[in-house]
Formats: sequence, structure tokens, C-alpha cells
Amino acid sequence: MNKTLNYYELFGLDAKFSLDLSELSATYQALQKTVHPDRFAHSSSQEQLIAVQKSAEINDAYQTLKQPISRGEYLLKLRGTQLPSEQETVQDIGFLMEQMELREMLADIENASDVDAAIFAAQETLDVQSQHLWQQVSELLNEDNESNNVTASELLRKLKFYNKLQIELERIEDTLFDD
Amino acid sequence: MALLQIAEPGLSTVPHQHRLAAGIDLGTTNSLVASVKSGLAETLTDDEGKDILPSIVSYQENTIAVGNAAKAHSISDPQNTIVSVKRLIGRSLQDIESKYPALPYEFCGDENHPSLMTRQGEINPVQVSAEILSTLVERAKLSLGGDLEGVVITVPAYFDDAQRQSTKDAAKLAGVNVLRLLNEPTAAAVAYGLDSKQEGVIAVYDLGGGTFDISILRLSKGVFEVLATGGDSALGGDDFDIALVNHILAQANIARPLSASMERQVLQQACFAKEQLSNADKVSISLTLEDDSNFAGEISRATFDGLIKGLVAKTLRSCRRSIKDAGVSVDEICEVVMVGGSTRVPLVRSEVSNFFKRQALTSIDPDKVVAIGAAIQADVLAGNKPDNEMLLLDVIPLSLGLETMGGLVEKVISRNTTIPVAKAQEFTTFKDGQTAMAIHVLQGERELVEDCRSLARFELRGIPPMTAGAAHIRVTFKVDADGLLSVTAMEKSTGIESSIEVKPSFGLEEDDIITMLKDSMSNAKEDMAARMLKEQQVEAARVHEGVTAALAQDGARLLTSDELSAINIALENLLTTSQTSQITDIEKAIEQVDKITATFAERRMDSSIRTALAGHSVDEV
Repeated sequence: MNKTLNYYELFGLDAKFSLDLSELSATYQALQKTVHPDRFAHSSSQEQLIAVQKSAEINDAYQTLKQPISRGEYLLKLRGTQLPSEQETVQDIGFLMEQMELREMLADIENASDVDAAIFAAQETLDVQSQHLWQQVSELLNEDNESNNVTASELLRKLKFYNKLQIELERIEDTLFDD
Repeated sequence: MALLQIAEPGLSTVPHQHRLAAGIDLGTTNSLVASVKSGLAETLTDDEGKDILPSIVSYQENTIAVGNAAKAHSISDPQNTIVSVKRLIGRSLQDIESKYPALPYEFCGDENHPSLMTRQGEINPVQVSAEILSTLVERAKLSLGGDLEGVVITVPAYFDDAQRQSTKDAAKLAGVNVLRLLNEPTAAAVAYGLDSKQEGVIAVYDLGGGTFDISILRLSKGVFEVLATGGDSALGGDDFDIALVNHILAQANIARPLSASMERQVLQQACFAKEQLSNADKVSISLTLEDDSNFAGEISRATFDGLIKGLVAKTLRSCRRSIKDAGVSVDEICEVVMVGGSTRVPLVRSEVSNFFKRQALTSIDPDKVVAIGAAIQADVLAGNKPDNEMLLLDVIPLSLGLETMGGLVEKVISRNTTIPVAKAQEFTTFKDGQTAMAIHVLQGERELVEDCRSLARFELRGIPPMTAGAAHIRVTFKVDADGLLSVTAMEKSTGIESSIEVKPSFGLEEDDIITMLKDSMSNAKEDMAARMLKEQQVEAARVHEGVTAALAQDGARLLTSDELSAINIALENLLTTSQTSQITDIEKAIEQVDKITATFAERRMDSSIRTALAGHSVDEV
């Protein structure tokens, strides 16, 4: 039996956090050209079945490696680091206070005298703060040791909060433009 | 005298044979069929030289009329003449009645499986669609001179699972092999992309008779990668007509309810006015009222624009959301393709051009572009272009999820995920000693169950009694390349499994389809058994051919001589069995070949992945 390849191996890549995204995308397309079910419309049912499985696996691998949060989490899993569960509460009170302030900033957008400017400013704040975290994650993950990995996993957890804020900002933008 | 053929060394020894295949645009208002003939995709015409088939089916005393023949009955006999059936397919009665209160049909059947009462009895929307498909398939057979290997049928990108499944059921009923369900905007992109060898991000704005789709795609080296898709499966040119109808009724001071034929008369006037206003600044309206008096009115372009402005704005909101989902900006979009008859409306063209800040492309007839793209894909899938680089990577339009405690939806696969896809999620029990779990599959973006589309319900039973939260139930969602979902659930400690093909909530059960097939055949010459035998024989031939080609390519390289001879024996058996008329024996022989080639298939796949990676890194260096 073949050993199942991990997502990095599947794409012929070294298990690193920093990836060349355009190369990733080119490899993805080359792989799909080989395994996509459309290539097997004329093959035996067995081959069609495997094509669907492989193609789905490559899609999943690509999505996981493309997005930095899922890529970071996947890399940590490969390194055997336990990720903090979603249900577990974040202990960092300072961080939680900041998050509440950011939430308030978003909630105030609709009352702003210049909505466009408020959205722009909010976006800038979110970008600067999350960029800062990303830089740390990237540096931590460059070296594979336990303390780095644990810290990186906590930072990734925090970045998910920023992701939610980003989605919320986009939702606010949508509702304000729809009127 | 014909020359003997010799294959190139290393290539498949199966002689290349042009396989007949067609692309079908099964539209709300009009349908078309197209095929690639000597390298060129073109629409196929009927014996009167027309390629557009109005999507109308009329159930007359002894016949079923389709297309223009049916259109003639639409005012005089509205109850038995079904127009725009695509708006009904895969929908519940409640859905239909709330969206289209003025339909002239007599509905029957139950809430989730509405049928229409006609003089030929109860007819469901799948059967109506099957009539349209049959007509087009017959046309293709005549035009191409033989049986079809299969067809590609297009569906709106925004069609949900029930609507896709129902479309596939209609094909089954029509007795045609579906090579692929293809999203309409993707088909249009293929037609344009192959034409212009375009690279980069393009948007396809597809406003048909009853549906609106927007797709954002990235084109690169023959790969059409859909980045995001959005739309409204119940918004189209028909809504422009409805807005005009209401305007005309108000002008003429006529109150509803109207007789069914009066509804149709006003609708035809509205449709005519809409088409005229694409070129004229105003158009006059005339109606013969129930009391035989006459109403004459006038509608200006400005009035019409005012009536539809809100609808057009709604489509642009979907565009904005999809661009965002695609992770691109408007400035990155290098081309906007217009598809669908409703994009002829001047306001639509100008608003879309304004929104995307560029002139929209209309060089391929917007009525034909989808069928042409489907024909190109059908030609590739039928195996006529083995060296073709084209690959379509599509996405699911709406998120798929499960009901959890409190009537909330937990998303398992989010919208705009590339298909095929398989995702699993684990759930647990809520009460101590709980032995069963109700699995409710939903589609949609909202958080509450009641705001999403219910696709199916099933139960996982036999969970061993444990304390609440101890059981691990793994639910796996799989979406195939047609965008169709299947769901399985398994309790991990016991391995108890329960699976369904998602179709029950709406649409037809497998048994219904078989009954309908039998009914339709009792009138026809060919009977059910003969058809099933033929289908099995075709399948056997396909499997035989596929494995033989694979052996010729990789047999010596990837198999031991024992493995090779075992496969050859199974193939031999398949060949002899398929010449008998024993359906179950043929089925068994196919299964046997499938089983014995499983390892071979896997080795081939792994080997080609390695080759792709190697070839790719060589390219990169």
C-alpha cells in the first residue's frame, strides 16, 4: 500500500510556512490537468472513482496551503503541535480588550459623518494590526521548536479573530452600499 | 480501397474514432443544441432551419407538442401548455406560488413534489424538461447521423442541489447519457476563451429568461478556474415582463384575477414591448379585453427603464459580492462577457459597462454562446481531443451544512469551494444514552435552518448508548464534478454507517423515475428491458475500452505478469458476457473488472501525478 502523501508532498514542496503562491497555483493546475474527472470521462468506473477522490484531495490541499491561517495550522499539525480548540477561551485579557475596542470601532461606522473615510480607517487599523501578527508568525514558524510552535499556534488563533472582524467589516460595507 | 491503419508507437492502440456528442443549453425561455463538426462548434437546426427551440411543451389530445408547435397553443390553451418550466424544476409548491402567483396551471401532487394537471394527466416539471431534452437529442441524432455518446447539459451556476439533480433526472427520463452538468457562465467563458486565447481574470454576466448568474474566472494555459460565482436562480428577463405586465394592467385599469388566456395575452404584449424597446424609444400596446373592447397604450424606453432599474441594481449587488469572494478588484477584470437574451436590454448593457468600467463583450450571439461552450466541452469529454489542454475547474455556488442544536446551521463546505470536494465534520450526541441522530442537510448562506434550503433528512441509528458528548459521528459531504452532493454518516467507535444520495426533500425518488420511464415506454416501441440491456452493454463496452487503453499504455510498466493475466481474463469474460442478454451477468462482469483493476488504476494515477510534478518542475527551472 502507498503511504498517503501529506499536502506539501502532494505538491512536491518542502514543509515551510513561506510559499510562492504563483508557483503553488501553477502546480495545482498541472496536477488537476492530470487527475480531474473530466480527464477520465472515457475510462473505467474504477479510474473515474479514483479521479474524483484524487481531484478532491488536491483541491483540499490547495485550499489549505493557499490560505495562510490554514497553512500555518496544517504545518503545526504536521509538526505535532496541539492546536488550541475553538471552544477554549482566550486567556490574554489585553488582547480581548483590544478586540472589544475594534468591535466598537466597526459598530460606530454607520454613525460616522463620513462613512467612506470611517471604513477606510477601520480597514487600515485591521491591516496594520494583523500584519504585525503575521510577521511574528512567519518568523516563529521558520524554526521548528516547541516553544516557537506553541506561540505561533496562539498567534494564529488571534489572527482568526481578525478574520472575523474583516468579515464583519465587509458585511457592514455591503449593507451601507445596498441602500 | 481503404488503407490499413497503424498506430504510433507508445500511443493507444484503440483506433481513434470520432464520437458523437452535443452540448445542450436547457434555457428558461429558449433551448438549443450544438455540436463540434469538423473542428467548429455550431448550433444545430431543425428541419425548418431554426436553431432556437422555445422551451414550451403543450399536452394536446393525442400528442405532445414542443417548441414553436407548442407556442401556438400558449394563449388558447394555457393550462395544458407549459412555458418556462425551468422556473418550476426542483422547487416546492410554496416556493412557486409565492414567487409566481399568476401562473395559469392547476397544481397537484404534494407540497414538495408539485405536478401540473393537464389533459394527459399529472405531469411533473422533470417530465416537461425531459420532453424538451428529447426533442433536442433527436435533432442532434438526425443532424450528426447517429446515436450520441453523451451530452453536456448546462445549468445556471446558481442552481442548488435539488435543481441540478432534477435536471439530471430529466436527462435520465429522456434516455440520454449526461457527460457533465456544466454551469452556464463557465460554458460561455469556454466559448469566448478558446476563441480569443485570453489570459487573466474575466467576468461572465449571464442574464437569461429566468435566472441570473455572475461568475469570475481566471484563465491560464487552457485552465478555466472559477474563482467565485453568485446570482439569483429566480431573476431574469421574465421579471422584466412581469414588471411590464403589472404596468400595462395598471394603465388599462384591469384588476386581477384575469382569465388564464388574458394573462397570456398581456404577457405576450409585454414581451413584445420589451424586445421592441431594445431598438425603439417607445412602443404601442393593444389588448382585446374580456368584453371584446380594445385598449391601446404606449410605453416609453424611460418608463421601461424605471420599471426594471431595481432589478438591474440587484444583479450588480451580486456582481459586487462575487468580485469580493473571488478576492480580486474590479480593475483586475480584463474582460466582461455578456450572456443571455436579456443582456440585449440597453439599460442592462449600460449599467453593466458602468459597473465594470469597460465595454462588455457581445461578439458571440448571447443566445447561442452557452450551447456553443457546452458543445466544446462535450467534444473534449467524449474523448475526441486527447491532447487538449482545456480544463474547467468549477465551484459550488451555495454553502452546504447540517442542522445543529437550536435550529442553527453548521457549514461543512462553504460557497465557492472548487469541486469535486470531500469534507468531513464530527458531531456528537446531545443526551445520555442517545442511540439515533437525525441528520438534516441544508444549503444556503444564512445561519438559521428556516432560512436555508432543506435538501434532505436521514437518520443514523444504532449508536451504542453512551454519555452525552462521548459518541463521535463523522459526517462526510462529497460533491462531484457535476455539483451533486452525497452525504454519509458514520459512528466512529462502531463503524455503523448510514448514507444517502441527497435528493429526497424535493424532486423525484429513483422509483418515481423508473415508473415514469415505464409509463412513457408503454406507448413506445422499445421496451424497458431492451433499453436497460442496451445501457448495460454500452457501459460494458465503455469499461472494456477504457481498461484496454490503460493496459496498452501502462500494463507492462505497472503490472506483474500475474496481475496482467488476471485482468485479461476478467476482460475476456466481460466481452463474452456483454454479448448475451443477461443484464445481471453483465453487471457482475463489469463489477469484477472494476474490482480487479482497482490497484492498477491507483498505480496509474500516482504515476501520472509524479510525471506531472516532474514535468512541472522542469518547466519551472
